Order: sequence, then C-alpha cells, then structure tokens
Amino acid sequence: MANNASSQPPLTGQDPLAAMAHSEAHYFNSYNHHGIHEEMLKDEVRTRSYRDAIYQNRHLFKDKIVLDVGCGTGILSMFAVRAGAKHVVGVDMSTIIDKAKEIVEVNGMTSQITLIQGKMEEVKLPFDKVDIIVSEWMGYFLLYESMLDTVLYARDRYLNKDGLIFPDTATIHMAGIEDGDYKEEKIGCELWDNVWGFDYSPLKHTALSEPLVDTVDMKAVVTDPATVIKFDLYTVTADDLAFSMPFQLQARRNDFVHALIAWFDIEFAACHKPIKFSTGPHTKYTHWKQTVFYIPTVLTVTDGEYISGVLETKPNTKNRRDLDIKVTYKLETDDITRNAEGQAEYKMC
Amino acid sequence: MSESTSSESDHQEDEWQDLEEDREDVQVVSLFDNKVFMDVPSMLDYCKKTYNFDFAAAQKILGLDFYGRIKLVNYIRYEVKNGNLQPDISSADNFSDDKYLQPALEDDALLFYADELEDEEIDAAIPSKGKENAQPIPALDPEARIKQLEEQLEKAQFQFAEYRKAAQNSLDKRWQDLDGADDGPADTSKQASQRDEDYFDSYSYNDIHETMLKDTIRTDAYRDFIYENKHLFKDKIVLDVGCGTGILSMFCARAGAAQVYAVDNSNIIEKAKENIATNGLSKQITCIRGKIEEIKLPVEKVDILVSEWMGYCLLYEAMLNSVLWARDKYLQPDGLMVPSHCVLHIAPLMDPDYVSENVEFWYDVYGFDMSAMMAKIYDDVLIKTVKKTSLAGKSSPFFTLPLHDITVADLTFRKDFSMEIENNIENLDGWVLWFDTFFLPSRTAALPATPRAEEWSDLTKPGVAFTTGPNGKETHWQSGLMLIDRKVHQPKALGQGSKISGSIGYMEAGSNKRGLEVEVTWHVEGSSEHGQQIWYVQ
Repeated sequence: MANNASSQPPLTGQDPLAAMAHSEAHYFNSYNHHGIHEEMLKDEVRTRSYRDAIYQNRHLFKDKIVLDVGCGTGILSMFAVRAGAKHVVGVDMSTIIDKAKEIVEVNGMTSQITLIQGKMEEVKLPFDKVDIIVSEWMGYFLLYESMLDTVLYARDRYLNKDGLIFPDTATIHMAGIEDGDYKEEKIGCELWDNVWGFDYSPLKHTALSEPLVDTVDMKAVVTDPATVIKFDLYTVTADDLAFSMPFQLQARRNDFVHALIAWFDIEFAACHKPIKFSTGPHTKYTHWKQTVFYIPTVLTVTDGEYISGVLETKPNTKNRRDLDIKVTYKLETDDITRNAEGQAEYKMC
Repeated sequence: MSESTSSESDHQEDEWQDLEEDREDVQVVSLFDNKVFMDVPSMLDYCKKTYNFDFAAAQKILGLDFYGRIKLVNYIRYEVKNGNLQPDISSADNFSDDKYLQPALEDDALLFYADELEDEEIDAAIPSKGKENAQPIPALDPEARIKQLEEQLEKAQFQFAEYRKAAQNSLDKRWQDLDGADDGPADTSKQASQRDEDYFDSYSYNDIHETMLKDTIRTDAYRDFIYENKHLFKDKIVLDVGCGTGILSMFCARAGAAQVYAVDNSNIIEKAKENIATNGLSKQITCIRGKIEEIKLPVEKVDILVSEWMGYCLLYEAMLNSVLWARDKYLQPDGLMVPSHCVLHIAPLMDPDYVSENVEFWYDVYGFDMSAMMAKIYDDVLIKTVKKTSLAGKSSPFFTLPLHDITVADLTFRKDFSMEIENNIENLDGWVLWFDTFFLPSRTAALPATPRAEEWSDLTKPGVAFTTGPNGKETHWQSGLMLIDRKVHQPKALGQGSKISGSIGYMEAGSNKRGLEVEVTWHVEGSSEHGQQIWYVQ
C-alpha cells in the first residue's frame, strides 16, 4: 500500500488530537494511513454487505436522518444518500475525513452529507436525534481497537426511540484447530531455537502471549464451532464488552488441538430480508481474518469429546483499545492418559 | 542521608561507598514503612528482620519473573498504603493484575533494581545467617567491582526502560511513526533528534529483527561468504556496524575471527548480548552500544568491516554514511569490506493488473469516484514485490558502488541508463528499481561491466552475490516501483526492440533527512515518447 500518511494537508484551526493522551492520538492517527482504508474498501464481503443492507432497504432510508459513526472515506454515508436518506452526518476522529470531504464533493453529495472531524462524545451534531445509525466499527476479534463503545454512546445520545442500527447483531464464535507445523512456523518455537545454527531463544518469550490474526484453513478445524457471546446492539452496554463466557467445543474427528480460534458474524437484522456475513474460516476471506490463540498444551482429542473452557475478555485498564484476554480450557475425557487442561493469557495491543 | 540499619559485613558497605562517586545516590524506601535505605539489600534485610518478610524466599516460592517481581513490589506497596501491613502473598494470582505494573511509589528505586532481585543475586548480596556456606562477596579489586556494578546498572536501566514501556502500554510500541514530524514550525533541531530516536527505536523490537532474520536470501549470502572464506576471517579483528541481533558477528566469530566488535545504537544490542552469551561467544564478541561516530573502539584498526546497512532502494535510511565513516576511521588500508559492492538496477515496468487495482480501482469504488485516495500514488517510490513478468525489458545496471573506495559525496549522483523493450507493450507504466549485493574475497577483485547477481551462482565466479530484484527470491527490501503519472503523461504503445535511454538521479530529499529523492528522465529512440518525473522514498 502506498503509505501516504504524510500527505495529509495541515489541520486548520485547533488540532483536535493535540489535547489527547499520546496512545490515544496514535490510535486515531494510525487510521489516517490510507492503507487500512484501502484494505477495507477492497474487502468485498464487508463493503458489499453494507451496500446491500442499505440499497435493498430504500424504504427504511427514504427521507431519514442518518448518522455514520467512524465514517472513514465516507462510503457508507454515500450509500445512505443513494438509498434516499434526507441527510447523513459522518463523524470521524481521523484526518481521513479530509479525504472523505473531497470524495463527497467529487460525487456531488456535499449538500446531503455533513462531515465532522472529532470525537463522537465531543462533537456537536446538526441534529438532536437521528433515525438510523450506520457504522463499520468492528476490529480484529470483533473488539480489538473496535469503536463499539463509541457507537453505543451515539445510540444512547442520538438515536430515536424506534431508530435502527446497521448492523445490529454481532456474535463471537470459537473452534479448535490442528496446527502443528503452522504453530512452529508462525510462533517460531523452533525458529528461535535455531536461527542459522545459533540459539536465539531470548527472542522467543515475547512470541506466545499475543494472539495471531491470520487466515485459518477450514481443513485445520477439528471441532464444531461454538457461539461464545452475542451482542444485540440495541441493548448492549459498554460494560458488557468485558465478559467471561463458557464455551464447549465438540471434536469432529480424532486429532490434535494446538490452538483455539475466534471469529465473528455480523447481521443486519433490520433489513427487509436479513443480511449477514461471517468472518469465519468456512467462508470467504475478509480483512479481519481469524484470531488464533495458541495454547500451552497440545490436546489429543477423540471424535465426539468436548473441550470446555471459558473466554474472558476485558479492555486493558490503561489503554481501552487494547484487550486482555484469558482462555481456560479442559479436555473432557475419561481417558486419564489424555487428560489435559490449562489456561493462557493474551494481550492484543 | 538516612540511617542504614544494615549490620552486615563492613567491607560490603565500603564497596558501596566507593561507588558513590560513580553512581547517583540511591534511596530505597522500605516496603512496610517510611524508612529509607541506601541500597536494596539493606532495605530487604530490614523488612525481613522487622516485618518477617523475606523477599528472596517469596519470589522464589512464587516463581516470579521480572514483571512478577515488579508486580509484587507494587502490590505490597499498594496494600501497605491502604493500611494492610500483611498483604496476602500466598499466591501470585493476588497480584497478577497488570495494574500492579503501575508504580505505587513515584520513582521507586526498588523497581529500578527489580532485575537484581533475582534470587541468586539476592542470596549473594545479602549474606544469610541461615546459610552455613554463604559465600562472601569475592574480594574483587575495587575497579573491577566498579565495572561490574556499572554493567549491572546499565542492564538495570535497560530493564527499567523496558518496564516503563510495558507500563505505558502505548499503542505505538511496535512501530514508531516516522512521519511524526507534524506540519507547522517547530524546533528543528529537536525534531531532528526526535527523528533519530524514532529511527533507532523502530529497530529495537523483535519483530523487525525477526522479519530481517527470516530474510534468508540476505542472511544466507552473508553466512555463505563468511563460512566459505574462513581463511579471510581467521585471527582477524572484525567490526560489525549496526549489529542488530548479532548474527553477522556470530558468523565471523565462528569463522575464526580473533575479536569482533559489534556496534549498534538500538536497545536490540541487549538481545545481541544475550544471544552471544547463549551461544558461548562472549569472549570473541564485544558488544558496544552507541553511534559508531561517538563510541570509542578498544582498537585502533580492524581488518574486516562487516555490515548489513542496505535500505530500501539501497540508500534510503542513510546507514551507509556511518559505515563509510567507520571504514575511513577504523579499517586497515588493506582491510576488507563485507559486502564489497552494490549495484543499482532500473527496469521498465508494464503491469496492467497493478494499475487496474491501484489506480483505476479508485475511479469507480462501488459506483463512487474515490480518486482522492490515490493522490500521491505517483509521488512516492512504492516498495513492492514485483513479478518478473511485470518487467517489460532487461534491467540496466546503472551504478556500481565500490564499497572500498566510494565516498559519501558519491552517494548523490546522476547516472545514464539504457534498455530495450522485449515485447510490444500497450503502455510504459513506470520503472522498477532494485539493487544487487556482491561479496568479493579481495579488495582488488573487480566486477564485470554489467554485473548481475542472479548469474553469480556459476562456480567460476568469485565470492557470493544476491539480488533484491524480480529475478530473485523475495527479500524484505522488495523493489521500488515508480509509476509514471498518467495525469500529465499520455502513455504510448511501444514496439518490441524499442530502445529507451535516460538518466536517473539520487539525492537527499530536503526536509526529511532520511528521505530520498529519485529523478528519472527518459526518451525512446525514434519515438516522441519521453518524460521526466521525481519520486520520493519516505
């Protein structure tokens, strides 16, 4: 991707990033890099789902006031205008909004779209209430660097009582995978033990505690998927984003389990005909890929057995965009020679 | 100074006093009350006697690592602050929360020494009455002891810096944003030094070194040259400029070098030290942290200078200047540069797929014109992996850098090139830029007029070579892609055999001192096709 971060025109007036904590400012700035926007726009599963959800429901958008939370390049705002919205307000903290303004102008929608740079919690909208919130807020593992809390704020502050949210349902799923070679290659357990004939193990200890965002081959999946948690965007609160939920994964064949993976599904249930997409290993690639948690033990599973466990996730106390994740797992088996359980803590930052 | 209640060995105290000229006074506050001590062992000893709390034993039983020790310290301090003089330390779970990475006490000197709190060291530092055979501290001569403690202090400082980073837990911990220089006037000297720091910091995390280590083409070339020419390295003094994780230094040591000086100005040198120690090469390799221009080598001259200094498009990031400085100051007149030559190549590009995905795409994104998103695609040299099939003709090697002789002034240059289009093409989409690196075994060995690393596997050729271009395996350098701006330049079809000649210039880009400006002018013989354009590597 062309790194055009330095191409942004200077901010005029007060720099809204100036007053922020460094890490926070960095978060907003990192989204300025066009690479991520290009990746998102080129993610067909994502962009088409939003387009279809909006275009196929012109009856819902006709003459409505729409709020686009974290509007980025403005594509969702423009979809909403084409679907008949009376006016769309796009809010984004990042200077990408300057690009969005150019794009909206080139496409002749300046009078229907108002773009505001700032934090949702601080900006002043030209409307007291909106009819629809559209937002593409999902991060890796759904919640990493996600803007969901911002969407919830916007919902509570601006959404009409019977207003709609696009999308309105998000579900996290897990499964167990066989991944011996890959674990070695990616985590580099072997690698660090032998790099060009030298022992490099001091570099190794940092490698395991971060989950890996990567595409997982469906053939590697050993268990049935299990739903861990479902968020209904009309009712969920910011506190619900820290959770501890049990899961049970049933093995579908005799194999080994080296890692647990997580992914999410998104649904636009407000649509006339509901539109869904999944970021799982069983379906088309998305830029979210899957999130892989390597576990410290290898589980030897037999067809039909269960791995039970708990997924615990909470925002890091210091940087709320980071996640602290804890996974406990236990192989439920009568065979004492294969008994195994354990836990591991991960950080996404 | 406050009292020290340590009643332990006198000579130990003497030694700490000896050190006071060299190190700042330390004030260690007791874990359980406000008493202040001059050093950690006295404080811990006091806690043991007065509050029956044995830190060494506790951390051993709980199996604490560096961060665990820090959490324990902060946990106790928080608990004590809240009036609980008997914190529950039966399990490390009680203080596993990362909030205990946050210092409970401002400038807590104890945390600063958390690295020294490892059990062996405490055992050594606090002569324990319970231990019959407790070893007294060996009576080193004071200077050696000072040196030893200075090293410990340096290590502690490094660890402490790491810990602070972890505690800050900031998002930018992996990649410093090199674009950090914001618009608007600012203290430029400060900006420059900030930029320097960012540059070095961006090299101090494992992942970039992992990427670089996994770049087998490059590392294999260094290894092959060094191991296949052990006679050159036997008993020699070697300088490794920008040693990173220490891999090249270790190759040289294994090849028989008498002594290797490994220099790097990034924190990664601490990892290099560990790696070198793990591999039992600490005697042969001396790690020195600092800028090569500022440190003092223990020797006047070295026999061999090895360095992996190459950047994107060869010269982006300007490490070569430091290497040449080191060569002029330290390399023997008949000494050897490893590698010995680099050759820059330029080739014509035709890649309709790339253009459609990255240029045409933006003109119709789900029915919208988003061309604003590609505003600078024609301004930057794009670092990309280019397929061999995207080359419209054979490359022109336009500049050979003889590393034994080249000077910094030679690094700003303009050179001619010429090339031929191999098949009919619809458009000339742009240029591809890459470099080849050669390792020749003597100063006098010469390269052919049109050197190509991909032809170097031939055993009759001396030394080793690798290419970073589309004709070889991918490396982390990839290639530099320069798209011809279609808004100002109407592309024209070119026939097979069309001859293109032109010139290419490299110069430092004005404001960003690590940035690079590349200018290409070209014309096609017997055609009206010609042009001129500038791109930036940034």
